[in-house]
Amino acid sequence: MSSSPPPQPFKFPREHSFPPFFTPQTNLTTHHAQQTKWSSLVLSYCRHHRIFKLSLSDSLSQSDLFHNQQINRRLSPQHQRSIIDFLRKEGRAEYQKENGGDLVYIYWRTPEEWAGIIESWIEETAQKGQVLTVYELLEGENTRGSEFYGMDREVLIKALNVLVKRGKAQIFGQEDSLGVKFF
Amino acid sequence: MGTSTSKITPQDQAILDLKTQRDKLHQYQKRIQSLTTRETEIAKQLLAQNDKPRALLALRRKKYQQSLLAQTDSQLEQLEKLVSSVEFALIQKDIVFGLQQGTKVLKEIHKEMGGIENVEKLMGETADAIAYQQEVSELIGGRISTHDEEEVEAELEALAAEVTGTGKTKTPAEELPSVPNTGFPSRQQEPARQEEQQAKVAERREALLT
Repeated sequence: MSSSPPPQPFKFPREHSFPPFFTPQTNLTTHHAQQTKWSSLVLSYCRHHRIFKLSLSDSLSQSDLFHNQQINRRLSPQHQRSIIDFLRKEGRAEYQKENGGDLVYIYWRTPEEWAGIIESWIEETAQKGQVLTVYELLEGENTRGSEFYGMDREVLIKALNVLVKRGKAQIFGQEDSLGVKFF
Repeated sequence: MGTSTSKITPQDQAILDLKTQRDKLHQYQKRIQSLTTRETEIAKQLLAQNDKPRALLALRRKKYQQSLLAQTDSQLEQLEKLVSSVEFALIQKDIVFGLQQGTKVLKEIHKEMGGIENVEKLMGETADAIAYQQEVSELIGGRISTHDEEEVEAELEALAAEVTGTGKTKTPAEELPSVPNTGFPSRQQEPARQEEQQAKVAERREALLT
């Protein structure tokens, strides 16, 4: 994504340096606590780096999220999937394709939350009844500095569709030159 | 979607087309910008390798791209101007429509009032009716006419003169209320007396003034 990486590195929580954190726990209560910790870690990590779409295999091998080199621990693919499933149950993640696959949207803000942010931005800048291009929302001069500047296009379109359902917006135009009209 | 497709007017479509064009120019500019930075780097590298002619070539390419960039800038400006004029024209259209509506309503109201002559006629009739009403109430209520009023006032004057004594030669000192020398009046009597006295004083004053 075109967003510049934040200057300070992400501060991992204490558990991340705790070797058992990387092994699925057998005790049910502990397991649940572990899953909760992991999901909130994934969310805050993605929020910090503005990651909208996570490639499961890539993130497993490349990023420092699922792999702590200091303690030489790496999450197993199964465990990673189970965390993603845990997030999905909370509505905080979604596979790009229905049947799974490698790419997962991580909703540290759900499309509904994004829709609210966009709506209030439209309200603040008095752009009701205006036609805006999707590109303009993502990369335009006007949106520079707004929270959705440089966000993932597909997530943005999901958010816009939420607004469409509420009757607050209308998407039109061709696939490569989508426009939105706000009401 | 689909249910409210009608909300998108042809103007919206036109604005979108313009804006898409503008976005494309934006992207083009980005591309050229990245190209120019690359050309500079290439020139630097070539210079380090002591390949002057090719470094020059790279710099020339960069120059050309920069001129393109300037051109796109002016084109972008044109497009943005057009977009804002279209948007402004839409607003103007709304305003004209609003003015039209307002005038129409105003005209209708005027029509209901039925023209200036009618209003004049109505006002005349109103004045007539008021005058007539006054006459009637004078007749019925026996309102005192100015002539009667004068008579009443003359009578009042005569009475006042009688009360104060015919001569109006009294000095102001004599006019002050006399100090009561009868001892304390009983409680019920007091207010009555005072009122009486006050009335008297007022009467005298009036008599003097007239």
